[in-house]
Amino acid sequence: MIDFSVYETKQLEIYAYRCPECRAEYYPAPMLCAKCHCRRDPSGIVHKDWDPFPLEGACTLLTWTRVWALPEGYDRPCEMFGIVEFPNGLRAAGRLEAASPVMGMALVARVEESTERPGPPAKVFVFSEA
Amino acid sequence: MAIDDLEKKLRPPADPLKPYPAKMITLANGKTMVVREASREEVGVLLGTIYPLLGCPKDFYDIVAARMYSEILAWYRYRVANEFVLVGAVDGVIAGIVNSRQVDPSLGMSLHTLAVDRGLRVGAQLFAAKMEHHIDVLGEDEVLVVAESPIGFKRWMIEYELEDRSAGYPAVRHELGGVPTYALTRTLWEKHRRNKCTGVRPVPPEILATADKLRMPAEYCQLPGFRRE
Amino acid sequence: MAPRVGIVGIGHIKFGNLSEYDLVDIMAYTATDALRDAGILADRRMVDQLFVANMGGGVINHQTGIASALVSRLGLEPTPAELVENGPASGGSAIKLGYMAVASGMADVVMVVGGETMRKVTGWKATDFVATLGHPEAEYGMGLTLPAFGAMFARLYMERYGVTERDLALVAVKDHANAARNKYAHVQEPCTIEAIHESPDAHVVNNYVAEPLRLYSVCPVSDGAATVILVNMDSPKAAAFRHPPIRIAGLGSATDTHCVHNRKDPLHLDAVRLSAEKALAMAKLTPQDISFAELHDAFVVLELAIAEEVGFYPRGKAVEAVRRNENAIDGKLPLNTSGGLKAKGHPVGATGVSQVVELVRQLRGKAEPGRQVKNPRYGMAVNFGGFGNNVVAIICAKE
Repeated sequence: MIDFSVYETKQLEIYAYRCPECRAEYYPAPMLCAKCHCRRDPSGIVHKDWDPFPLEGACTLLTWTRVWALPEGYDRPCEMFGIVEFPNGLRAAGRLEAASPVMGMALVARVEESTERPGPPAKVFVFSEA
Repeated sequence: MAIDDLEKKLRPPADPLKPYPAKMITLANGKTMVVREASREEVGVLLGTIYPLLGCPKDFYDIVAARMYSEILAWYRYRVANEFVLVGAVDGVIAGIVNSRQVDPSLGMSLHTLAVDRGLRVGAQLFAAKMEHHIDVLGEDEVLVVAESPIGFKRWMIEYELEDRSAGYPAVRHELGGVPTYALTRTLWEKHRRNKCTGVRPVPPEILATADKLRMPAEYCQLPGFRRE
Repeated sequence: MAPRVGIVGIGHIKFGNLSEYDLVDIMAYTATDALRDAGILADRRMVDQLFVANMGGGVINHQTGIASALVSRLGLEPTPAELVENGPASGGSAIKLGYMAVASGMADVVMVVGGETMRKVTGWKATDFVATLGHPEAEYGMGLTLPAFGAMFARLYMERYGVTERDLALVAVKDHANAARNKYAHVQEPCTIEAIHESPDAHVVNNYVAEPLRLYSVCPVSDGAATVILVNMDSPKAAAFRHPPIRIAGLGSATDTHCVHNRKDPLHLDAVRLSAEKALAMAKLTPQDISFAELHDAFVVLELAIAEEVGFYPRGKAVEAVRRNENAIDGKLPLNTSGGLKAKGHPVGATGVSQVVELVRQLRGKAEPGRQVKNPRYGMAVNFGGFGNNVVAIICAKE
């Protein structure tokens, strides 16, 4: 059956994945669960696909930088990036928007579309002040 | 020397420009670079410094050298109005040259930036000094800038967030052939000055004296094997 | 019992901007130097196997099949040849495979050539190219680059261990002093602590690249190539070479999570620790036996962190050696005697081979005056792929 939902305009989300066997959570998704060795099947045909769930909302800043030597595609002098931890223990890297970043500060993660990098638009995390 | 009437007709009007106050910058290798305004009497050593780079296509040195050579020659021969030349010198040896001109009291026209020494941010420092002269010393409101190399575009257009004025073409255009024109406004300068422009003033007389007599470099990193006899 | 493997030939081009040269030509240039150094230029068909380390040929040079091209450029057909790509640790991996080829008995003489021409493209395109080693969606797509990872690592490291920007600048000063005496280094210009940290001009002269890392905390974008020739020391062929071999006493490699954020402790470089442990165990040595080391300091903070993971210092203590200047050429443990990636340069595919060339030069006692470590016995190289996710450690010994 054709999945016509692929043509719908969807809310921008980045997904983490939950192992259907042992409920371990991952971002990004591996092919095998590190705990129970259950295999992910992206097609969902041969094996049950893992449960995707949006990764967003409250998080904590672990470390950050302001990069002045940006790669091609960024037509601005600098951009901040950070690594955050979500309450479920998952971590992610993305852009940071904060006036005075401090490690350990509370942030909120949302998803935006980025066209800086070559190829189709990419979904990126933006971490901003809570 | 008397100037004949025809020569007078060929010369542009000349507005007296405020002099650029010399400064000194400690480069990463610990050496001191004196940045000061070059005088017309020093054109020979400037042209001699630029000349070998006419044959260096790498990183667009050839076009920058050729254009700067002609612009400095035009300044010497009174064929361009209100041009100024700043030079960076380490122990008297020219490390880089920048030139520019004032269009009117509110507008500057940035011409070229030539880094002879590389890897020490000499070009970036001298470009900043040039903008400092336009806006802080001469009091202009903005400077039109173009880039002739990818390095220049990154250094000036992106790092200084220059305003893109190319939509105003042909009414607004840089003198260097009408290529995409950008502007450094006073507001942008105020925003970026601290991170881009440095140097200590006044320069102690003994350090300033090291740059009294400018010398051409004996070797150029851009020209392996070249050695000035 | 596996045969002993030694290095009998080395070649190295001066790193820098070689953008007007062809990638395979600069590789062939250093291969030729190595063959000459080994004394087998005319008998180069003694080479049983060629491994070529390169990361960006397909992307930057729009060229594939580089190993085949190099064989032909050297007139080495029908010698078997393969390309090895392991990001910035391609060179270390190629040497590892060369070692395995000899140790397995499949080859007696192996040539390993690493090369890269990153200055064919602009600096920010090169930065983008190296960033493609990150996770496509979770890292590269987010805009993260290697300087961003280096900076985020540095911020945590500096916070946890009380390391300052001045400490990082001291590492750069030491690296540049070494590179200034290394004829192969990209940046042969010393820098001073006053100029890059203390003077009123320092914040502009040594500007931020990715906070808290500054220009003098990160390696330049370099072109370059290097070659080593390995031999089965227990084969009769070993007698054919001009130099006594420098033995590969230990070799280890290990991997870590692809995504940096998935490491339990983001400051633990497990792949470095494990690869070093393997190499030391194979060589039957302890970290204290190592006379000097080349550590992958693409960002100077990595010199400290890698030195700790290898076991030269307890965690957080490497900075004390920096403050005591113990890692200088005449110090207790000289580090990055070549100038390191910071100043010698970092043509990614060439780096691992270049590090081992430096080990051989030091162990032969043939480094330039003022840069020669006194009576070295064991040298170690750590070649760091990705942001620590694929690492090779190599120990060389003077017999």
